[in-house]
Amino acid sequence: MKIAVCVKRVPDMDVRFRIATDNVSVDEAGLKFDINDFDAWAVEAALQLRDKNAGSEVTVISLGPDVVQETIRKALSMGVDRGIQLKTDKVPFDGLAIAKTLSEELKAGSYDLIFFGKMSPDTSNGVVGPMTAELLGLPCVTAISSLEIADGKGTAKRELEGAQEIVEFPLPAVLTVDEGLNTARLPSLKGIMAAKKKPLEVKPAQIPAPQLTVRKLELPSERKAGRVVGEGAAAVPELVKLLQTEAKVL
Amino acid sequence: MANVFAFVETRGADVRKVGLEAVTAARQIADKFNSEVHALLLGPPGIAAKAAQLGQHGADVVIVVEHAALGNYNPEVATATAADRIKSGGYRVAVFSTSAQGRDLAPRVAARVGASVVTDVLTVDAEGDSIVVRHPMNIGKVIATIAIDGSPAVIAMRPNVIAPAQNARAGRVENAQPAIDPASARVKVIETKQGGGGKLDLAEAPVVIAGGRGLKAAENFKLVEDLASAFGNAAVGATRAVTDDGWRPHADQIGQTGRLVSPELYIAVGISGAVQHLAGMRTSKTIVAINKDKDAPIFKVADYGIVGDVFEVVPALTEAVREARKHH
Amino acid sequence: MPDRTGKVLPIIHQAPLPLDRLILTEPPDAEAVPMDVLFVGGGPAGLAGAIALARLVKADNAAGGDLGDVQIGVLEKAGALGEHSLSGAVVNPNAIRSLFPELTDKDFPFRAPVAGERVYYLTDSRAVRIPTPPTMQNHGFFIASLCEIVRWLGEKAEGLGVNIFTGFPASSLLAEGQRVTGVRTAPSGLSRNGEQGSAYTPPTDITAQITVLAEGTRGTLSQAYLEWQKISSDNPQIFALGVKEIWETLKPLDAVVHTLGWPLPKDCFGGSFMYPLTRNLVALGLVVGLDYKRSSDDVHEMLQRMKLHPLFREILESGEMVEWGAKTIPEGGYYALPKKRHGDGVMIIGDSAGFVEVASLKGVHYAMQSGMFAARAAFDALKRKDTSAAALKEYDAMVDGSFIASDLRKRRNMRLTFQRDNFYVAGLKAGIMTVTGGALLGGKIESHADADVSRDVKPPEPFTPDGKLTFSKLDAVFKSGNATRDDIPSHLIVGPDITPVVADLYSHMCPAGVYERDGDRLVVSPANCIDCKATDVLGPRWTPREGGSGPKYRQM
Repeated sequence: MKIAVCVKRVPDMDVRFRIATDNVSVDEAGLKFDINDFDAWAVEAALQLRDKNAGSEVTVISLGPDVVQETIRKALSMGVDRGIQLKTDKVPFDGLAIAKTLSEELKAGSYDLIFFGKMSPDTSNGVVGPMTAELLGLPCVTAISSLEIADGKGTAKRELEGAQEIVEFPLPAVLTVDEGLNTARLPSLKGIMAAKKKPLEVKPAQIPAPQLTVRKLELPSERKAGRVVGEGAAAVPELVKLLQTEAKVL
Repeated sequence: MANVFAFVETRGADVRKVGLEAVTAARQIADKFNSEVHALLLGPPGIAAKAAQLGQHGADVVIVVEHAALGNYNPEVATATAADRIKSGGYRVAVFSTSAQGRDLAPRVAARVGASVVTDVLTVDAEGDSIVVRHPMNIGKVIATIAIDGSPAVIAMRPNVIAPAQNARAGRVENAQPAIDPASARVKVIETKQGGGGKLDLAEAPVVIAGGRGLKAAENFKLVEDLASAFGNAAVGATRAVTDDGWRPHADQIGQTGRLVSPELYIAVGISGAVQHLAGMRTSKTIVAINKDKDAPIFKVADYGIVGDVFEVVPALTEAVREARKHH
Repeated sequence: MPDRTGKVLPIIHQAPLPLDRLILTEPPDAEAVPMDVLFVGGGPAGLAGAIALARLVKADNAAGGDLGDVQIGVLEKAGALGEHSLSGAVVNPNAIRSLFPELTDKDFPFRAPVAGERVYYLTDSRAVRIPTPPTMQNHGFFIASLCEIVRWLGEKAEGLGVNIFTGFPASSLLAEGQRVTGVRTAPSGLSRNGEQGSAYTPPTDITAQITVLAEGTRGTLSQAYLEWQKISSDNPQIFALGVKEIWETLKPLDAVVHTLGWPLPKDCFGGSFMYPLTRNLVALGLVVGLDYKRSSDDVHEMLQRMKLHPLFREILESGEMVEWGAKTIPEGGYYALPKKRHGDGVMIIGDSAGFVEVASLKGVHYAMQSGMFAARAAFDALKRKDTSAAALKEYDAMVDGSFIASDLRKRRNMRLTFQRDNFYVAGLKAGIMTVTGGALLGGKIESHADADVSRDVKPPEPFTPDGKLTFSKLDAVFKSGNATRDDIPSHLIVGPDITPVVADLYSHMCPAGVYERDGDRLVVSPANCIDCKATDVLGPRWTPREGGSGPKYRQM
């Protein structure tokens, strides 16, 4: 089986972000970067399949400047066989432009399975996987939390709001991975050593003109002080009313 | 004509609240262009009966696609049908929902029609030739203003940011067929487990109910679970004190060493509000606190607080929420 | 209450170093990862050493040398480089300049040159400016974040082909006879009671011709090696605990500020620092000797009280504390240096060897320079194909002939006199020592290990943090970025006879709230630990735990 996993380098979210002086990007000073968690689970899923199916190979692909090679190396040190960097100085916000760039590369690889994380926390848009599937004309299952592959077809579970769905799909296919599918392995020392010798191909990325432009970024306003609605169960009707009419969350 | 398309999400033979929100959002945009809202309603036979409701919310045209195989969401049929209609209709904007279904559907349709897409949209506006939206990034810690050039602009609204509003239009029904035979779909749903079984992820759930030491014992988490099930779209979380005591699994812990959540609504039940807990939930849109100690720090961040015994307040709230949800 | 009076002696309650776990005289695993030279610890010492060695090897190969491919490894317990690195810091640039002669100061990861400096003597309400002592003059030095220096050094090392293994703590030295042959890493993914979870990763052995211990302050394997080989120093190593915060301020700070006096009790050694990282980003901290005299002395709390002083309050008020951390500092100086800092197949560098000069509050450049000396010694040993103690003693000779030894020797008694005399007498003597370059009052002062200093049992003065300017330990630990799994097995070895009085001592000693007294019981929360090692000095023993645990410092 030939498996591809598209991975993204993302900043650690456990910080207070600052807006850069250009007003349209986040100040990266002091931020720590790592592979997107969802993508790490996608890598793990691919590695598990490869290990069960003799003769399989896993390729990771990442779009971005040379720093994404760190992310690719991380995947290689987890056990991925080879890496491809689609090199560009700046990755646009536009998911379609990204999907077009990736699908050009993926088309050439004739993969049986293409994995994505279901979303990345930085852009928080979650569209590149299904868009790529469409561009490639492949069946697609998003946000999977279980996966079996046998006899050229797959079975996956999707978590929906208040429901679960079991779906069947033929290969080749595009899958996006949700939390709960697996626990990603940590790179082993041997893996880190081996990763240095694995092939990492750098290709220039051909990114089409984006249709989306980030005009500005801002920090959300601070919480304003709240109020105590009342005491005891007697306050419940007032609370429910506020949740419906004022907060509009019910 | 700069008409606006809305995809109406259904569950079984019902229109979901997010479907009405999509129509409402589409109406607001169409009003800026003095144009029409065309709503696509896909579902099992009988779904046509809901067309009138969409008209009341502002749909000028309701395209009804009924098929016996459309009791459940079928991504390939929905994608093909919506994309065909958007292409032939020449819409300026296409509105979807950022639900589990919408997250799956909107990007597929957008790619099929050659458009980009912004999900989790908070607000939408028209400025000159661009549609301008606001979209949370970095788990809600940064808000982006994004201009969408080209037509159609495909957006997926965040649930609960636009309340469904009555704004009656003709709601003229056009019957149509699925763009592809549902039987030909490559991805097949072979089983759906409705209700209960679906574990909503804490980080994704629109509503989070969290319990703290104030619940006094592990078995009393039943109160929190009951409240969560009354909401139907709620996940259950806990404080570190509670997970340390083994009342709940560690995966449920919200805070310093646990999960960061930013739901629409966060209800803190018997939680004092130590800073290490607040760190995990303070970006929630609306925070409700129920605690018997009126000086508890949680009240400083809560939008709404009730001072009282959780064993009395929570069951009453569960009942009231169940009542309120019946109407959706 | 009878247990609220009298004394408590920490050493009685301290478990011994678990040598049987720390030194394994067994052959490495057959699957061991082979390195030629392994630096244990990715701080300034280990990384400078790795960079220097990689360059020596590269130059030698380019000149037609016969070393060929030399595998250099750096093992780091933090999940990413820099996450466990903390220093003031005002850095003397001499070592980094000589490591990168082709670069200029503006290429280095420094924040700003020291533009001005002030020293104050504090009372609880006043700040009296005093002349800057010669030892504390920082003109020509740079304000920096050690995290940033370490990350920068890491990139340089990787660029030179050094293998950097982050998230792998070394938990044991492997030895064959008296010779160090490598290390074994700590396993990860164990549950609280030691069961293997789904993410379990077994220990890995790494072999090396030369193992360089660069563990930082109170290095566990370094201590074990010195104890095993009986080459510890004449005087015991003594430590201070530094607690540090980084603030985004509305008011700019224009100079490097140091203070003496309040809020420290007169019989405590220490002082504070406040440095501008940028105009509105301020690092401040308080450093207190762990030979303090009362069970209720609490460095974190002293720092919190200190911020209420007008000198600090004026800068910090309405700002926001964005990062918090703590670390011990080896302060024993010259007489606390190990008799030998090398052995068969091993060298000890940086803070692990005690290369800190306390009067000038400097250690980073000594750490880097000692790493560079170790690199030279390792290179020469590899060339001669002899990595025995006889070959590696060249390292000790280089240190002893350098500014590291001469700086420490000049100020050999400055810190020790504070253990013997009160603040004023000691201050006077320190002045004489400075002026005379240590020639007067130069006789060796015997000192006690911190754990051998008995403490008066005193109830603490109540203090309630306001959550704006002052913070509880739990809130502080949150700002360290600590996200250690809650269900990690305890890495702390609690000693015998832990009475309520001892529990109180521990709860004040630990800045991170690892220890609490609950009734008569000591409650331990190992996940709070931020690896400052104060516990290892005075309380329960610290041992290496799952990789990536502990703080995640960003600009400390």
